[in-house]
Amino acid sequence: MISRVADHCFWVGRYLDRAESTARLLQVTRSLAFDAEMPTTAVWRPVVTVSGQYEDFAERFGDRAAGMGDVVQRYMTWAPENAVSIRNSIWGARESARSVREVLSLDIWQATNELYLWFVSEEAQKQFQVDRDDVYRQIRRQTQLSLGLVRSTMLHDTPMDILWLGVLLERIGQTARILDMHHYLLDADVDKNVGADAGKHQIVQTSLWLSLLRTCSGFEAFMRVHKGRVTGHDAVEFLLFEERFPRSLRYCVRSAVALVRRIWPEQLASIGGAPLARLAALDDWLGERKRDLLPSSIHDLLTHVVDEVAATCSETRQAISGATLLPEIETAEPEVAREGQSQSQGAAEAPKAAPPSTPQ
Amino acid sequence: MVPEPEGSLLLKGYGALPGAYDELVDETGAPRPHARVAADMLNGLSPEGFQRCQSLAELSLVQQGVTFSVYSDQRGTEKVMPVCLVPRVMGAAEWARVERGLVQRLTALDLFLDDVYGDQRTLREGVVPGEMVEKSKSFVPRLRGIKPAGGVRIHIAGVDLIRDPAGTLRVLEDNLRTPSGVSYVLENRQVTKRVFQHAMESGSVRRVDDYPSQLAEALRSVSPVDPDESTVVVLTPGPFNSAYFEHSFLARSMGLELVEASDLVVDGDDVFVRTTMGPRRVHVIYRRTDDAYIDPEFFRPDSLLGVPGLMRAWAKGRVALANAPGNGVADDKAIYPFVPDLIRFFLSEEPIIEQVPTFVCARRDDRQYVVEHLDQLVVKAVDEAGGYGMLMGPQASVAEREKFRELVLAEPRKYIAQHRVELSTCPTWVPERRRLEPRRVDLRPFVLASRSSAGPPTRWVLPGGLTRVALREGSYVVNSSQGGGSKDTWVQMSSSS
Repeated sequence: MISRVADHCFWVGRYLDRAESTARLLQVTRSLAFDAEMPTTAVWRPVVTVSGQYEDFAERFGDRAAGMGDVVQRYMTWAPENAVSIRNSIWGARESARSVREVLSLDIWQATNELYLWFVSEEAQKQFQVDRDDVYRQIRRQTQLSLGLVRSTMLHDTPMDILWLGVLLERIGQTARILDMHHYLLDADVDKNVGADAGKHQIVQTSLWLSLLRTCSGFEAFMRVHKGRVTGHDAVEFLLFEERFPRSLRYCVRSAVALVRRIWPEQLASIGGAPLARLAALDDWLGERKRDLLPSSIHDLLTHVVDEVAATCSETRQAISGATLLPEIETAEPEVAREGQSQSQGAAEAPKAAPPSTPQ
Repeated sequence: MVPEPEGSLLLKGYGALPGAYDELVDETGAPRPHARVAADMLNGLSPEGFQRCQSLAELSLVQQGVTFSVYSDQRGTEKVMPVCLVPRVMGAAEWARVERGLVQRLTALDLFLDDVYGDQRTLREGVVPGEMVEKSKSFVPRLRGIKPAGGVRIHIAGVDLIRDPAGTLRVLEDNLRTPSGVSYVLENRQVTKRVFQHAMESGSVRRVDDYPSQLAEALRSVSPVDPDESTVVVLTPGPFNSAYFEHSFLARSMGLELVEASDLVVDGDDVFVRTTMGPRRVHVIYRRTDDAYIDPEFFRPDSLLGVPGLMRAWAKGRVALANAPGNGVADDKAIYPFVPDLIRFFLSEEPIIEQVPTFVCARRDDRQYVVEHLDQLVVKAVDEAGGYGMLMGPQASVAEREKFRELVLAEPRKYIAQHRVELSTCPTWVPERRRLEPRRVDLRPFVLASRSSAGPPTRWVLPGGLTRVALREGSYVVNSSQGGGSKDTWVQMSSSS
């Protein structure tokens, strides 16, 4: 498989999942803002922080704007200058998909293209004024449709594996960031160290755990496993370690390990060895944490996961490029997007225009 | 709008254009003998029936995404090239002559390129004036002495043919660099087969669907290593290119990888494609990029586009490029007038296909005639394409003609002139009038060349080719960007085949 094509597939997966996660995050945070008796800054500011865009945001709108739900939502949804806005994710997914149309199925391309065309339409802008929740829901539904079509219409072969690896790595990073968003409250609750305002905290935190579970589409699954009893410890443990839940960190990491093994079987370890080793180590490491999870270490755990995933992403792209076997040759500039570092996601830049050409 | 009675025969009442040759009917309005099958098919249809077929065909092209991109459109809208279902038909005997003529012409042009980039006998012996080559923008002196792997330079050619009012086919232009349009030939046939099942089943039309496998074989044949062990790729400028659909179509139908320049790297003198399994050596590149974007090291030191070192690998014979770099000199308008002489020089044969008589302004007598008859001639600057630097004498103003008179006299080498040819017509569906009317057509046959173990390359001509039609009434412009469409081209099967 051509490296560039593989790289585009990888990004189709990442962008689609990122668009979905961001829409989820905004949708759920909106509902949290209604339910939890928390200062609006405590509700909205973490959304910008975990996306790695706080500095840019504060520079544009000032610190206080981080407490204004509308400013944050517009910034995270539409802003072209925000590398991880939904707009940029949808655009990136569509541009990557367009470059590899032959490899995807027509259905995937059409679904992704339709999402893009709808999102940039006036209709969507208007709907955002009238019924914002519906806009988020549509984005989620359309991205889920595209991702579902990946598994149901694409040849189950390297291109799909690479695309899905992109989805999983993005999802791990997103889930870890979302959990980290309110980690100080997690620590407090898991410690059972609720202090004087115990009653109030209880309400705040219960709605917080519920919103976390909803953000990760884990509400029903969690309730089934825990028979309707919600505690911070259980919610966090569920989202971190539940091996039967397809959005938990552990599940995603394990699936990613299996995919990397399939993309680069043992005889190609010289190429895919680095991301495989890192992911396998992360899987083991998570297994150990599960046994002795200390509340105070949740933030550290999540930070570690985010860092490792970012490193895995760049090693994966290195492997995809085949550059490991041609060390003397520089790897070409990636076409669509770049990697971010810890706690800041990849900035989505515009794909470069193709070289001009004057066919006869 | 003239309402037609229900169930009228489509060809009845069709009036050919005075002063032009019609491809389907003769002067009396009767179908030409070789076009019988097509004429019967049309006469079996009412206007309503034909319109249904036409709509079905258009829908099927949209659904399959047979499109070209429109640069200006930010949303990446893609347009379908209009197709008219009335076929253009070529008789078996005439086609056999066209095939021989094309092979002859391209054999001579391939030898000419070898010569221009070799010891330049044609220039020394005055077959072509040296300045015509040396001053050509497409001539690359640094390529002299390089022998391409496989010994072929024109692997894929598209030669534009037109027919004059007397019925004589003439070459208008050779395209020896990156001719496009073959995907429409194949798609148009698919559509015709679906819509006119019956006519196609009668087995009277030669097939075109083996073009991709013929092309793949031709490409493999020039590999510097065993063809069966070779990696062949299609190189595209990318999805933003207007012909991207064709690039991906051809790659898909040949089962080859479609690559962009950034996918290729040169290590030492070998070319590799980056794959997820590591670099893989590439032996043949069917490139759909212009010379200028092949290798920045060679052509454009200021450019970042292309594959650095690719020309070095090609010069060393480690990779074959189809078509070879530098071919543009042979399809230059300045060389065109000399092609008949080149055929005589290299092959000691008379040209089988005529071309359009051309005045070369560099010659004194020609120049004299041109400046005295500017009101009757089409004057073309040799280095320009796409209608730039052109004078349409009969329509031009006095001031424009005066300007060209000065231009021609100042730099005669830069100009050639021709009488305008009244292109032949073909019955074409006019939806708003729900009837067939004559519209002007040309024809671009495609010719492939493979390495042969001894002697010159073996050439294969796709039966038919792309018939382009000027859909606008009275228009001569067949380009898809300017209101042109296409038609399926049927080559009648000869009684022996």
